Amino acid sequence: MEAMASQAAIAQKTWELENNIITTDSSSKLLTDQSSDSIFYYDEPAQAKFQQEKPWVNDPHFFKRVKISALALLKMVVHARSGGTIEIMGLMQGKTDGDSIIVMDAFALPVEGTETRVNAQEDAYEYMVEYSQTNKQAGRLENVVGWYHSHPGYGCWLSGIDVTTQMHNQQFQEPFLAVVIDPTRTVSAGKVEIGAFRTYPNGYKPPDEPVSEYQSIPLSKIEDFGVHCKQYYALDITYFKSSLDSHLLDLLWNKYWVNTLSSSPLLGNGDYIAGQMSDLAEKLEQAENQLAHSRFGPLMAPTHRKKDDDSQLAKITRDSAKITVEQVHGLMSQVIKDMLFNTVSQSHKCCSEHSDPEPMVET
Amino acid sequence: MASSSSGLTFKLHPLVIVNISDHYTRVKSQLNPPLAPHGSSSDGSSSATASSSAVPAPRVYGCVIGVQRGRTVEIFNSFELLFDPVTHILDRNFLEKKQELYKKVFPNFYVLGWYSTGSDAEESDMHIHKALMDINESPVYVLLNPLINPAQKDLPITIFESEMHVIDGVPQLIFVRASYTIETVEAERISVDHVAHLKPSDGGSAATQLAAHLTGMHSAIKMLNSRVRVLHHYLVAMQKGEIPCDNSLLRQVSSLLRRLPVIESGKFQDDFLMEYNDTLLITYLAMLTNCSSTMNDLVDKFNTAYDRVSRRGGRAAFI
Repeated sequence: MEAMASQAAIAQKTWELENNIITTDSSSKLLTDQSSDSIFYYDEPAQAKFQQEKPWVNDPHFFKRVKISALALLKMVVHARSGGTIEIMGLMQGKTDGDSIIVMDAFALPVEGTETRVNAQEDAYEYMVEYSQTNKQAGRLENVVGWYHSHPGYGCWLSGIDVTTQMHNQQFQEPFLAVVIDPTRTVSAGKVEIGAFRTYPNGYKPPDEPVSEYQSIPLSKIEDFGVHCKQYYALDITYFKSSLDSHLLDLLWNKYWVNTLSSSPLLGNGDYIAGQMSDLAEKLEQAENQLAHSRFGPLMAPTHRKKDDDSQLAKITRDSAKITVEQVHGLMSQVIKDMLFNTVSQSHKCCSEHSDPEPMVET
Repeated sequence: MASSSSGLTFKLHPLVIVNISDHYTRVKSQLNPPLAPHGSSSDGSSSATASSSAVPAPRVYGCVIGVQRGRTVEIFNSFELLFDPVTHILDRNFLEKKQELYKKVFPNFYVLGWYSTGSDAEESDMHIHKALMDINESPVYVLLNPLINPAQKDLPITIFESEMHVIDGVPQLIFVRASYTIETVEAERISVDHVAHLKPSDGGSAATQLAAHLTGMHSAIKMLNSRVRVLHHYLVAMQKGEIPCDNSLLRQVSSLLRRLPVIESGKFQDDFLMEYNDTLLITYLAMLTNCSSTMNDLVDKFNTAYDRVSRRGGRAAFI
């Protein structure tokens, strides 16, 4: 048992290393160490000083990193998921530290977004003010440092309206950050789909940088994405948790490992998968049309044209591969569960007959 | 302390736990400024003295909200409360304000009770408990023990209900422990996994995703295995006569084991096969797409390589 525990600890450490999860207090340190969790301390004068210096004015690319607390992430994802296919929106509270924005907490706003447009109305502003006031009283001293909203099912990027909103906020409420969460893809891919963005000021020509991370965008939104994708940049996201958080989360695992076994991504996301497939089909059709045109049309300047088509087909391939990988993962867990829980009598037979263990095919 | 007999089932969401933990950490670190506050080193000496005489973190108080359906109580979220430790009075206006604010965002959630930190329920806690009774007639009390004890295997969280008991002829309210389970929605589980230990944060190749997926599966099954082993050890010891025979426990074990072929019917097999084949079909489609893309590449390369030929005969070939 103990050997297993230590193995698990090592595995967990590797994961934390790989995932940039910073524990603010490593368990090897003395637990009485009061200087740990210092990230949770809010230093009012230092923050005010930073506010006055405004180092972000001269450099539109000043903020490069975002640190999100476990609490804020959890709150945002749960809120995003509770909205279903409706976009939700909320605000984040936090502070700054050098070139990084630290998000400590998040709260929801009573705004019901219709598809693709989230607009904060006046009562939302009123709500925001009231909420921040009560929060200050309860010992949450940080100011609002950004807003978050969800894009259920179509990826983490900023739409035209989002860009305008964010630009507006960056003019008047610096430092300000935009976070987008896709709850549908989170469930489908089994990992949190989240992006943090800041816009460039109007008229700023961004240096040609490689597009941060490729993601599939539905056909109906691709125009919106393409027009505005050069107006903002993505920030690097890391997460942190307090020593008490990590202790509790460890123990939490002892309680709810059952959920890993009892959930099935295949069942929960059939709708999303079907949508993705039909979207892919449409994209394929479009690509096919373009290809056909390029064949029939004059073969002038074939080089740069070809490049476009190529990447389009390659994109579709990548999308389809991604969906398939997710599906196969889901199926894999189903098969494992089936073997674990349903084939009790068969496994007895297997043992007695010493047949080769090949139940994957037999199902 | 007696365990509850109300028969209510409590389901606790991880968000509440993280929320309480954060509330506690926040108050604690605000009282004990770090040795070297980032940025400014001028006031380092004053904060050093402050942290050497570390103020013990006070208890924090808050409200838990959620849904009650029939006999099931599901605690979804929580928010902070103001409590004066000297006068033992809850800030009522604050509570109502907060409640109103949360009502706007989560219209289905009701106040279910309150939370605090500490090692055990205290005498004075009953005052707060009673104060909440006009909002919810049987509030729950979620208690989190913030002391980190590495030897501990269970969550340091207790849920109390209040029950009327007659003690020495006087009816009195006392706290009774209630059992609870951890409940998550899928997205919540994924993000807890994300911050707790598993899952690469950014994309990662297919291989790392597969590894993450399988590791999650593996550790869950390992957990199941270890739990079953505990049962097995217990049964073996009982058979040897080292442990007294407990019939009710045996019955529970038996009913647990009886469930093992969870679903084994022709209908399940059919559905399972269908799902399996659907996934295979998707894989097939993806392969086809991949294949056609590769073919397209090849044709393009061919055209480039034999430019002259394609210019003359290529068009005819494609039409």
